[in-house]
Order: sequence, then structure tokens, then C-alpha cells
Amino acid sequence: MDKSPLIELIGVEKTFGRVQALSNINLKLYEGEIVSLVGDNGAGKTTLTKIISGTESADDGAKIILRGQEQKNWNAAKARKLGIETVHQNRALSEQQSIYANVFMGRELVNRFGFVKRKEQIKETEALMRKIGYTSKVWTPHSPVLKLSGGERQGVAISRAILFDSSLVMLDEPTTAMALSEQAEVMEFILNLKAQGRSVIFISHNPWDAHAVADRFVILDRGRLVFDGPKGNTTADEFISMLRDVAKKGSV
Amino acid sequence: MAIDNVTVKKIVIPDRFKPVLGASGFYFMMMAVFIYFAPDVFLQVGMFTAVFLSLPLFIIMGLSLVFVTVSGEIDLSFPSTLALTGLIFSLTLTATDYNFWLAFLASVTTGVACGLFVGFLVTKLGFSSLITTLGVNFMFAGITQVLNKGQLRQFPKFDDSPIRAAVVGSWGPIPAQLIWGLGIALILGIIFNRHRFGIHVHIAGDNPEAGRAMGVNISRVKVLCFVLVGVCCSITSTISILMNSTYYSTMGEGYLLPVLAAVFVGGTPVTGGKGTIAGLVIGATTVVFINTGVVAVGLDGYYTGLGFGLVIILSLLGHRALSGRLSR
Ligand SMILES: Nc1ncnc2c1ncn2[C@@H]1O[C@H](COP(=O)(O)OP(=O)(O)O)[C@@H](O)[C@H]1O
Ligand SMILES: [Mg+2]
Repeated sequence: MDKSPLIELIGVEKTFGRVQALSNINLKLYEGEIVSLVGDNGAGKTTLTKIISGTESADDGAKIILRGQEQKNWNAAKARKLGIETVHQNRALSEQQSIYANVFMGRELVNRFGFVKRKEQIKETEALMRKIGYTSKVWTPHSPVLKLSGGERQGVAISRAILFDSSLVMLDEPTTAMALSEQAEVMEFILNLKAQGRSVIFISHNPWDAHAVADRFVILDRGRLVFDGPKGNTTADEFISMLRDVAKKGSV
Repeated sequence: MAIDNVTVKKIVIPDRFKPVLGASGFYFMMMAVFIYFAPDVFLQVGMFTAVFLSLPLFIIMGLSLVFVTVSGEIDLSFPSTLALTGLIFSLTLTATDYNFWLAFLASVTTGVACGLFVGFLVTKLGFSSLITTLGVNFMFAGITQVLNKGQLRQFPKFDDSPIRAAVVGSWGPIPAQLIWGLGIALILGIIFNRHRFGIHVHIAGDNPEAGRAMGVNISRVKVLCFVLVGVCCSITSTISILMNSTYYSTMGEGYLLPVLAAVFVGGTPVTGGKGTIAGLVIGATTVVFINTGVVAVGLDGYYTGLGFGLVIILSLLGHRALSGRLSR
């Protein structure tokens, strides 16, 4: 394969006080592929997505290269502008604010004086809510997020990630708090992203889900990258026994 | 199912109107009580004119405090900032032989600097804004006293100036500063609800982590809120100096509690993420009526405190009942 990666991480380290959350992570992501990022609780999956999304900064010495360009002073606003959208594990919703304010949070549609184009935002949010099939007719774009159920909040976070054109979408355990039918929709949605040519990093606790949609597996164990390889003909059972090996021995 | 076919028309008040509704309901109740007990005082035009004279000062200060509160912080340093910006205005005025605009510019610059200072301490060093601004309030008061050297500064030359007429003149029973105060409230209200900055202020006080993850510069938003307080201090002190043609270094002292009361009585909760500009205007009116009314009916000044206390606690009850939670 001679394709150049969409994004490349070189020597990413992250320490929180004494906790080494990530050590020497080197990772390349290509266009139009789905990477399932797996590993036990505390393995560093969320921290890695936060570094890619600019929410956390990596320790000194790390390099983030996007489309061949090394990125300096990487931050969340830049990441989004350059086409990286994230469904954070904690949802990153502002709960007292309306659904539409959350959908456009950080990327408000404004005129040249900075005033928000409210009607447009509401209209787009309505369309989005219809698209993701909000079954409850009670909610309007004006409803505050704190009135929504866990699954519905998830829907807001996910729809925010597809509203804007992006080349990489990261989903950190997006199906938690969702009903089974909703979970199936999310899996469908991920395959859709790929069909549109976008790259996806998918984190799930459910190894069958992680296996089902993946083109490639990346396994983390206590902050180290212990496996990175294509799915190929790996079956779900083989994948799960790989995960067991990692949990037991720290390697595949 | 029969129930489905019956549309029960219930009047639903949207949540965002409830604080304003609560604040106005409360205001009218208070006025009814005042008028019942002292109709000859509270039904006079003079009473309203007296209230309108100082009301704009409380509105302008309160507006900036709504921004800070909604952004999840608090600012207790504004009384001293007010005195300090007023002093800089007075000193510049004297030094430039009554160049009003230069003096005003110097005052606003001072206000901005004060806001940046507080904002730096709170966002960069991560200090609690409650304690920081308490300290800064003492600090700025000290600086003001040192620079002022105990003087009372009078500006009789202003008495017939056109700038004085424009800022604090009177249009019939309506003092000009009321128009300015309401104008500023309108502008800040639009910014609060419709400008990206206002939207980010809400997010900063609601879930700053979420805002950061979505690329909102939360620290900058908070710093700008403190800067807004500084600017409002300089506007307020300038109006106050023009009103009395006098500067005195204790001019900020009567503001702390009434302004905070106006914010909370107006329906902006301390918890951040939510607030109302219209409510603030009503809250400020309530507070200034108590301030002015207690004296006007010939009661001892001590009763003002009692009045504030009652109003704050009763209004909290009212807002909580409206938001449907009588217990926490
Ligand atoms: N903000 C933080 N402060 C301190 N430690 C953290 C912080 N975020 C994550 N960690 C630690 O870093 C490690 C990796 O966490 P995380 O990335 O959330 O793992 P995962 O998402 O794989 O469960 C854990 O040991 C966690 O306790
Ligand atoms: Mg995680």
C-alpha cells in the first residue's frame, strides 16, 4: 500500500501526574477505513481520541501530522476546522442549553458580525432530528438537552458529528445507554460514514460490534499499542481470543 | 383511546420566560404592598423620578454581573473597580483641562485592565473567582485611597456643559441616563441571546468541558466577561460623577449587595449556564424601589436591609416554585 495517511501520530505520550495514560503511540489512519480501537478500561482509548481531537494536548515531543502537514499548537477548534469530528465518551453536551445550541456548539452559524443565524440553525436541527429518527414527538430544537433520555442525548452528540463535512469521525463508546435497535442504527451509521469516504475510529466495549464494522484493529493495553493490523479473515472468535491474550499477557 | 381524542389546551409557559415572569410578578406584588401602605408616596411622579435617577447605574452594573454569573463565575470586585475607574476619570479630567472623551477613554482603559487582571487570575491561575475578586476588591480600594489622598473632587465646570445634559439631563420626568441604561440593556440583551459570545457565555457556565471539547475558548469567554464588568464600572462611575459633578472615593460602596440582589431577584441563578437580561432590569427596579422607597416613606435606613433580605428570600421561593422545584 502506497497511500499517504490522512493522519499520522508519532511518539504520542501522555501522563496525568504519575499515571502514564499513553506511551509512545505511533499510528497511521487512512482515508475511508474503519479502525476499531479496543482495550480494557483505562487502556488509554479515550485519552488517544482526546489528543487527536485536540481536547487534550499530548506531552512534548509528540507529532501530529495531518495530510502530510505537521500540526503545531493543535487544539479542538483547529481539529474541527480541519475535518475531525468526535462523539466524546462523556457526550460533551451543555445540558441546560437547547438541542440546537448543542448541535452547533463551537461552530455556530453566524453572520459577519458574529450574530447567530438562529432560524437557520433551528431549521437544520429539525432536519437532522428527522433524519436520525427521533421517535419522541415531544422534542423540538428548543428543548433543553437535560430533558432527553440517555439514548436521545447520544443522538444529539452523534448528529452533531455528521452535520459538518468531516474526513475523520471518532466515536468513543457511542452505543452506551442505547436501546438495541438504536445500537443497530449506530452500526449502520458507521458503515455509512465509510461509504461516504470518511475515516472512522470506533471504540466499543462490545467486541462483536468492534469486529463487525472494522477494517483494522488497534489494541491498547495500559497505554501501549500492542496490536495494529488489518481484519483480513480474522473471525469474531479469533478477535475475542486476541483480546483475552492481551488482557492476560499484555501482548497478542 | 378516548383520552387521545381530547386535546387538553393547557397554557404552557416556555421555561425561558419563567424567570422574567417570576421577577415581574414579584415586582408588582411588592409595589402593591408599597402603594397600599403609603399611597401618597408611591403614587407620586416624584417617587418614580427619584428611582429612575439611580436605577440606570444599577442596571448597567447588574448587566455585566449577569454575564459573569451565567459564565459560571462571580465578581465581587466591581465596587472598587467603580471607584478606581471614577478616580482615573477625575484625574484625567483635571490633567487635560476637562477633556471629557480623553477622561472617559482613560477610565474605560482602566476598567478593561482591571477585568483582564481578574480574568488572568481566575482562568490562567485557576483561582476561585469568589475569593479572588474579594481580595481584588480590597486591593483596588486600597490603590484608590492611596491615589486619591482623601480628596473630594468637584467639577463645577460640568454644571452647564452639553455633555452633562446629554448623559444625565432630564427629558421631562425621565432622566437621560435611564434611556442610556435601557439602551445598554437592549444591546447587551441582544448580545447575550443572539451573539456567538453570549451563546458561549452560557456554555462556559453550563459545561465548560463540553465547550472546550467542541472548540470553544472558554477561558477567553470568561476573561471577556470580567472585562465587561470593568467597562460597565467605568460607564457607571462616569455617569455618577456627571450626576453629582463630584467624585468621592467611596462611591462604589453602596453597590455590592443591591447589584447582586438585582441579579438574583431578576431570576439569574448562581449556578451558571442560565440567566436573563430582562429579569435583571426588573430585579434592579425592585431593588432600587426598596432603596428609595424605604427612605421616602420616612422609615429608618435600617429597614432597607430588612427589605432586601425579605425580597431576596421571597423571590428565591418564587423562582423555585415556578421552575417546579420547591425542594432542592
Ligand atoms: N484527566 C485525567 N486525569 C488523571 N488521570 C486521567 C485523566 N484522564 C484519564 N486518566 C487516566 O488515564 C488512563 C487512561 O484513561 P482513558 O483514556 O479514559 O482509558 P479508556 O478510555 O481506555 O478506558 C486511566 O488510568 C485514567 O485513570
Ligand atoms: Mg474511555
